[in-house]
Amino acid sequence: MTSQASKIPVASGLPEFEDRANQETKYTTCYMCACRCGIKVTVEDNKVRFIQGNPNHPINKGVLCAKGNSGIMKQYSPAKLSSPLLRKPGTERGAGEFEEISWDQALDIMEKRLSHIRATDPRKLAYFTGRDQMQALTGMWASQFGTYNWAAHGGFCSVNMAAGGLYTMGHAFWEFGDPDWDNTKYFMMWGVAEDHSSNPIKLGLKKLKERGAKFVAVNPVRTGYQAIADEWVAIRPGTDAVLALSMVHVLLKNQLVDDEFLIRYTNSAQLVVHSPGEVGDGLFYRGEGVKNMEGEPQVWDLVKEEFVDANLPDINPALFGEFTAPDGRKLRTAMSIMLDKYLDEQYAPENAAKECGVAAEDIERMALEMAHVAFKETITIDVEWTDWAGRKQDKFIGRPVSMHAMRGISAHSNGFQTCRAIHLLQVLLGTVDCPGGHLAKPPFPKHIPPGIKPAKECAPNTPLKSPPLGFPTCPEDLAIDENGNPLRIDKAYSWDAPVSCHGLMHMVISNAVKGDPYEIDTLMLFMANMAWNSSMNTAQTMDMLTAKKDSGEYKIPFIICSDAFNSEMVAYSDLVLPDTTYLERFDTISMLDRPISEPHAACDSVRIPVVQPDRDVMSWQEVMVEMAGRLGFPAFTKEGGERKYSSYKDFIVNFEKEPGIGFLAGYRGKDGEKSLRGEPNPRQWEAYEENEGFFEMHLEPNQRYMRHANLDYLTLAKEAAWVGSTKQIVIELYSEKIQSFRLAGQGLYDGPMPTEEHHKERLVKYFDPLPTYYMPLEEQRIDRDEYPYHAVNQRPMFMYHSWDSQNAWLRQIMSQNYLFMNRVAAERDGIEDLSWVWVESHNGKIRVQVKLMEGTNEQTVWTWNAIAKRGGAWGLSDDANEATDGFLMNHLISELLPQKGDVNDRVTNSDPVTGQAAWYDLRVKITPAAPGETGSWPSFSALKPQPNAKPSPDMLSYASHKNVNLVRPMSDILTRGEK
Amino acid sequence: MKLGLVVDLDTCVGCHGCATACKQWNTSGTIGPLSDKDPYGRDPNGAWLNRIRTYEVDDSPNSKTVNMPMSCMHCDDAACVTVCPTGASYKRSEDGIVLVDQDKCMGCNLCSWACPYGARELDPDAGTMKKCTLCVDRIYDESLPEDERKPACVLTCPTKSRVFGDFDDPNSEVSQLVRDRAGKQLMPELGYNPVNTYLPPRNKPVVEQYQPSLKATVKGWVNKVISR
Amino acid sequence: MHPAFSVLVFTVMSGAGYGLITLMVIGHLSGLSQLQDSSVLLSAGILSFVMISGGLLSSTLHLANPKNAWRAFSRFKTSWLSREAVFAILLYPFMLIYLGAIWMDMTGAVVSVAGILTAVFAMVTLFCTSMIYASLKTIRQWNSSLTPVNYIALGLMSGAVLLAAVQSVVGGDLAGVLQQLALALVVLGAVCKVIYFFWIGKPAGSTINTATGFTQASVRLLDQGHTSNSFLNDEFGYTVEANKLVRLRLLMLGVAFVVPFLLLLSASSALLVIAAASTIAGLLVERWLFFAEARHVVRLFHGDQRV
Repeated sequence: MTSQASKIPVASGLPEFEDRANQETKYTTCYMCACRCGIKVTVEDNKVRFIQGNPNHPINKGVLCAKGNSGIMKQYSPAKLSSPLLRKPGTERGAGEFEEISWDQALDIMEKRLSHIRATDPRKLAYFTGRDQMQALTGMWASQFGTYNWAAHGGFCSVNMAAGGLYTMGHAFWEFGDPDWDNTKYFMMWGVAEDHSSNPIKLGLKKLKERGAKFVAVNPVRTGYQAIADEWVAIRPGTDAVLALSMVHVLLKNQLVDDEFLIRYTNSAQLVVHSPGEVGDGLFYRGEGVKNMEGEPQVWDLVKEEFVDANLPDINPALFGEFTAPDGRKLRTAMSIMLDKYLDEQYAPENAAKECGVAAEDIERMALEMAHVAFKETITIDVEWTDWAGRKQDKFIGRPVSMHAMRGISAHSNGFQTCRAIHLLQVLLGTVDCPGGHLAKPPFPKHIPPGIKPAKECAPNTPLKSPPLGFPTCPEDLAIDENGNPLRIDKAYSWDAPVSCHGLMHMVISNAVKGDPYEIDTLMLFMANMAWNSSMNTAQTMDMLTAKKDSGEYKIPFIICSDAFNSEMVAYSDLVLPDTTYLERFDTISMLDRPISEPHAACDSVRIPVVQPDRDVMSWQEVMVEMAGRLGFPAFTKEGGERKYSSYKDFIVNFEKEPGIGFLAGYRGKDGEKSLRGEPNPRQWEAYEENEGFFEMHLEPNQRYMRHANLDYLTLAKEAAWVGSTKQIVIELYSEKIQSFRLAGQGLYDGPMPTEEHHKERLVKYFDPLPTYYMPLEEQRIDRDEYPYHAVNQRPMFMYHSWDSQNAWLRQIMSQNYLFMNRVAAERDGIEDLSWVWVESHNGKIRVQVKLMEGTNEQTVWTWNAIAKRGGAWGLSDDANEATDGFLMNHLISELLPQKGDVNDRVTNSDPVTGQAAWYDLRVKITPAAPGETGSWPSFSALKPQPNAKPSPDMLSYASHKNVNLVRPMSDILTRGEK
Repeated sequence: MKLGLVVDLDTCVGCHGCATACKQWNTSGTIGPLSDKDPYGRDPNGAWLNRIRTYEVDDSPNSKTVNMPMSCMHCDDAACVTVCPTGASYKRSEDGIVLVDQDKCMGCNLCSWACPYGARELDPDAGTMKKCTLCVDRIYDESLPEDERKPACVLTCPTKSRVFGDFDDPNSEVSQLVRDRAGKQLMPELGYNPVNTYLPPRNKPVVEQYQPSLKATVKGWVNKVISR
Repeated sequence: MHPAFSVLVFTVMSGAGYGLITLMVIGHLSGLSQLQDSSVLLSAGILSFVMISGGLLSSTLHLANPKNAWRAFSRFKTSWLSREAVFAILLYPFMLIYLGAIWMDMTGAVVSVAGILTAVFAMVTLFCTSMIYASLKTIRQWNSSLTPVNYIALGLMSGAVLLAAVQSVVGGDLAGVLQQLALALVVLGAVCKVIYFFWIGKPAGSTINTATGFTQASVRLLDQGHTSNSFLNDEFGYTVEANKLVRLRLLMLGVAFVVPFLLLLSASSALLVIAAASTIAGLLVERWLFFAEARHVVRLFHGDQRV
């Protein structure tokens, strides 16, 4: 493809278009979304000339999407905050009345308030971060502060994908794995609009097309990636588990499963106690007289004809069968339970078709196609590798079917089980971490689940004993008090949402305002637009932020917000700390967080400033390190009480989580020669800068596949502190951990159990140890005939959440969103194209403009998310299209289940397992608006721009230098004829 | 030489990367700046040289969505050159690139009337016509690495759906693609002979289905002896 | 097409002016008695001069970068707009000589040659103007010989009505020949216009299928790539609903043709002036329709099914 350039001869007579002597090229990491592509930035006179993809970067290999290409307009947005702001005393939140203060003043205010909270009741600080990538630092900061009321936005975003994967196969669809783009022959994508793996997916799909691999897209809408899919499966939202499990049914019925994979790498042969009504029912049999969930699970050895420890090498487990334990307990293999469950008629294609809207013959055909590719089009890679038991293997067997799934699966109250259902399908086909299958990305895979338990104790001036977020494996791990009440402000890790690994950011404000479970003092937000699109029930959320106690004080007394731009949240804050833009800061994309690894390379990267800020800003990372020093956090303070780190950069270089492990894995050791583990390198930042901002360490060929059972890989992983041991990571199709919660709900658990009926009911119904389908909770509680349409939304490829309406270029692509509806459905309902309609849910109503299209599931309406804005925010005019014609679907979505006057009225509108906000569960009805009723509704008053805001120009003509025109000679003009 | 682009409709996902890369490169490029009127206000309207239009082919539920990026086709028979009264609009004889000399355009719009493809947009600030320059200020620039001497849109496309080259050279990649994939011109009946060519979506791959053996279903599930 | 007021005024005014001077020259040089009086000739000549010049000035108003307007003469080789500019300018010296000669009561070769060249350049300029539109393959409603035919017919028609009116007002009574000529040209104009309506009414030309290359199934626009207007929407996206177009057509036929025809029958100077005004007004509507009914093929890329 690049050969063209060399064949084109140099043309003389062209002027020098660019003054290269005046230009500099710098490398950093894009931050227009969370894909974190490597970029090469050309700068002249401290202005950005051009941003392009870095051809050497492992993630994007030189390409760049629309967002990355529009970084200039983010950098020059008139919405940038330019100094710390303090709400003027006597003014109201939302009025936008701020005074500019100095950083010294701002930090003093912050220090004073936070140190008081820390010394009295650290829980009173609720610290939640939005679409950042800094969780390793902010989570650590919260731990050191001593508050467990910390999370990022995962509970709102996609925790179901993370949890689904981490509790099943050790890595996940989300950011911890990728399809094997180079080798896969059949790729099925579920519920993916634009994803963080944005450019890699695009590059990968091209490879599939060139090779003739089949690409199937399961999605109610045919846009974006779905446009180029070979087969589009227009599924009804929320029923993906039905489709997945029906395909499982077809495979099981025809015995098309990878028995070897199941026996060697999963817990399918493990024996499950079958004793309904008794304590321990559904848990693994671990031998005589052994406590539940302790000791080794057992299997039946076909050759020895006896029970043996399941995780031994060289045994011959029975995959199916019912047995009786010596003490009389009935036992079944997990696989036998699966057969019973999935061969049930409920999952037969004819019945599944009625629920999910995919034709029965298509369900059967796709399953048989995948089976053909997996078992008859197998590929092998001849490389010698050592398995977990130390045995030499001579090749990797590849079953080249791969999958990817994201928000269309995640944002439902049945998302966790649905995600596991897809993993089940993958595992039966033997396609996990094999050539052509779905590959983990370092530092994954990890043991199932990773061994961190969420913090449960909180004391003044004391760091937490474990991180605020973790992975519960049984009811003992819940963050509840002796009465079973939640400890955290978001009620994560309580009976409301036991396995809520990413917290429930969407519940914080409403819980804090209700004082349930308790009141807080300070809410600290970073890059989280809670007063607008990052909340469900937006109007009520704004009310809650301004709700006052009888005393006149706000129910949430103090709000600190850090952002680079004048977002809708800024107006509702008391102290505003202006952040740098991504082109102005040092930053890390760390192995301790979510790095930029590729499946076969461990990678991390940094951001290095390419332009100097022209205003009084400080990056949030610096604020974190500064505040940690001021507050005397142990990890940030020396023995004698002095600060350990002078700056964020100093912290990154010198902090060690354990000996040799720091935030950055590259160029470690005193000479920068060591990778993954090594002493701090004082020149580490310089080393990254010299290496175009990233570090990449390729895995050896024998470390690249079957890593859950690959000693060559696990040894490296242990050395790098990615895993705690080199024991095999056994894939858990049957989740005993989930079953333990179900037992608690049934009153059959030897440990903490819920006391409230609705908690018990949820545990019994939804904590199935095997992937299962249940109707989404909202749908269960409303009249489906009254609200006949599913309403979902997707992120466009050229905008990332609310971040891009301040971008003069990107907003020209879209400054208004429509509600898209299937044309056939609309004609049936008498809805006309581009007409204004009322859209109503159980929670509210909005007025929007409709656009009809062909490629949407007939029972679905959808829109692009986060397009609507409040006038005045983001540097926009008061009458910007985003404010007058754009709309948020969020108004229709409640943070609670539909109110029916029963005890479930108080329950969060989330996945009962993980607490994932279920915003795709929404169901609506559509009615035409009266003639003359136009413009979006509700509308909100315009916000004030920040103090001393530069006015947004009426005409923008950006250039980093005066153009050098290519002049046509007059003689040519006068003499040239037609050609 | 006959320089131009091949656009692959089989792999374009409509991400607008090419449109914004073009905007970004050209606003500081030879015909820059590309102005935006009311950039932060109601109905923003700016000059872009590449726009992505999306169509649905066939009716629900069998529709296919096609994303179609469109920029100047650098036509062989470019009426926009013929009609221009000032000579600002011209087609280079050495490589066929159609350009607008910004020093000479008087903003009469006639060339945009002559263009079937909407390739030309009047800059709201300068009052001159702007259009794709095929990145004439990149493709010959020896200070760029050889791999990068191509239009910004081609460089950036994340699905590699844009290819740049010489259509006069039968062995060039663009020529081969046109032959191999039956590349088409848009609105050929008007006779403009656009050089930019579009590759239609490929036929779907055929995947066999596993034919399960009757024996297996009759026998039922039987444990195989497999060593762990 | 978006009907720019300055362009409507330009083509109607200049067209009428060119028609007027041409018919006046023909009548004058062929010896028509009512067109020998210099006050009649100069009145009509100056009126023509003002209309042509006013029209041309009006046309420059719609340039976005008028400082380069002087370059418009440089592409005579290929551009009809350039040719129009050249001939429009070339007209002036001859028209000034011709009118000047009349004013100075000159006769003979100077007057004849200048007059003939004036008439020739006037018609050629009018033809070039019409060819700017007719040569555009992108607008099928314009892309036919009916366009220059209509421009010339309507230019001559409006010139004839103006000539009759001026002659009648300045000369005191309407010459029979001029009256018959005007009536005949009004009828001719109406016939040409009606033929034009029938011709553009037949479905023909490019479709969204040929535009996108997908000819085997329905094609619909899902997204044009931007939610507010671009230059292309503003310039080419003008759409008037069908009912309104029909009403405007009927209005135009009445005001441009029927009313002037009836008023011409009266031969009263006052009514003839009204007839002239009505003709101009009617032609402004006709020209507006000429633009508004024109659908550029780029609309196919913006969602129209046909043009």
